[in-house]
Amino acid sequence: MLRTLHAILETIMFLKKHPVAVMFLLGFVLSPLLHPQSAEAIPAFSRQHKTECSTCHTIYPELNEFGDAFLKNSYVWPRKTPAAAGQAQEAGEKGSRNEWVKISGLPEQIPVSLTATADLAYDDEAYDGNKFDLSARSLRLHAGGAFREAAGFFATYNLYTQGQQRGAVASSPANSANTPPNNTPNLNELFLVWRHALDTPINLKVGRFEPKLSLWKKSNRVITVPSYASTTYLVGDSPFSIDAPEDGIELSALLGSRLLLAGGMVDRNGQNQKDGYGHLSFKIGGTDFKGEEPEVSLESDSVWDFLAITMGAFGYWGRNGQFDNFGIAQNLNDFRRAGAEMDILYKRLRLKGSGSFGRDSNPMFANTAVGFDSRAYAFEGEYYLGAPVNLIPLFRYEYQQGLGGGTRRYIPGVAYAPLQNTRLSLQYMHSDAPEGINRIAFASLAFSL
Amino acid sequence: MKKLLVTMLLVATTATGAHAGLKVIGKGDAMSLDPSALPPAMKANYQIVKAKCVKCHTLERTIVAIQTGVAPISGQPFDRSATKAYGVKMLRKPDSNMSKPEVKASVDLMNYLIAESER
Repeated sequence: MLRTLHAILETIMFLKKHPVAVMFLLGFVLSPLLHPQSAEAIPAFSRQHKTECSTCHTIYPELNEFGDAFLKNSYVWPRKTPAAAGQAQEAGEKGSRNEWVKISGLPEQIPVSLTATADLAYDDEAYDGNKFDLSARSLRLHAGGAFREAAGFFATYNLYTQGQQRGAVASSPANSANTPPNNTPNLNELFLVWRHALDTPINLKVGRFEPKLSLWKKSNRVITVPSYASTTYLVGDSPFSIDAPEDGIELSALLGSRLLLAGGMVDRNGQNQKDGYGHLSFKIGGTDFKGEEPEVSLESDSVWDFLAITMGAFGYWGRNGQFDNFGIAQNLNDFRRAGAEMDILYKRLRLKGSGSFGRDSNPMFANTAVGFDSRAYAFEGEYYLGAPVNLIPLFRYEYQQGLGGGTRRYIPGVAYAPLQNTRLSLQYMHSDAPEGINRIAFASLAFSL
Repeated sequence: MKKLLVTMLLVATTATGAHAGLKVIGKGDAMSLDPSALPPAMKANYQIVKAKCVKCHTLERTIVAIQTGVAPISGQPFDRSATKAYGVKMLRKPDSNMSKPEVKASVDLMNYLIAESER
């Protein structure tokens, strides 16, 4: 008995001394359990449409071209006409709608899914001496779907979060996509989209959502922590970032099938003035925004058979301030952001570029306003391996000009999906910030059900 | 007579809801086409479909689409123009691992099967 205890203690001491060995050991031990099998992804959309995760994702949560079209179509299957749906029912399609479902407009199944994450960080120079940190974890509830083809809805609720992901602290301007800073249950998104309002091409979105500015939603990444510096950076004490969910109203419309226009208004507490924003994106080649495949000859080759280029631009103008005891915004900060982005896909290679700059008149909410010009950019290269894609090595470079100076970040990483609803990622973050160089190894396990 | 009845019963229990013109073996995830009923050129095409398509989905999905004329997930009509569009989609999918000749062979097979099932 004593011998066993001694052996256990020795092992613990060894593991404490060699944390990197622990990470590899864990990966080695767990890998047989995660051997690829037939994919059985089951979150809400997958269940609803009886299709696999890879229909819309590369490695989740990153969207592929069709997933992007599904999102733009407000969670209704692109090009699904009522006539086609009727024909499908007539043909005895599996899971055909019951009459009560059709009449009430209710989704056939409760459209809910869960995402759980557990993170592991290794920081050799951790300020608290805790080099090997296994404390961050979260559980998120998602709901999404459509009421017939008339409206789409989506909600994300943080059921539980614990710990702060190391990649998002101090050295990084980015807040974690999975672990909100407040660490309390929090409604992240809740919105309804009235599709093709009054039989026009315009979609009307109301609720709490990420304003349509960037080409990609904050969650639309292979590696979600940290998010792109260009869309997630903060200036001074201002809580505004381009990818933060806001309460607002948004109008969007597809002109043709390759041009998207969106614009909206955000309601901010403590003041009467509203924020405004606009977005424009255009796609050349590839699957169009309506989910239609390009015309490709099967007899001859062209570079456009596989090349798709999406370009986007956006602008945001708003005002925020520090709340006084009555919840009224004081020491106001007028801010602007403008940005441009590009997403290039060629066969298995995907390149993303994002840049934004801004002006804040009083980002410290001080009595005497001092303005600041900010800028940030991010470039990421990804390479898809596997059929279906289950391994993505990537490299990201970011730069942010903050109040204290410039921060450069180099992030090589790899994501692996042993099953389509399970993602393992491993990344190394090298940050060169005014306060010094910071190196963090970061591993994350996430699964959805 | 007894033998005939038993044989008929066996045939009835193993038969799927296949269209008259399409010879199908098995059910559900194990559903596949009977290659002996295919002409030589289409047999070769079928080998490609069998090897490539099943990496991401079952053959049942394709067979049901051909039998019913409706793609089971999208609910879209599954006709000759649709087979080309699906072929292009699979060609462009980074995870399909299909070349143009392989996609063309698959589209030709699906078009042949659609024509057969319409007989």
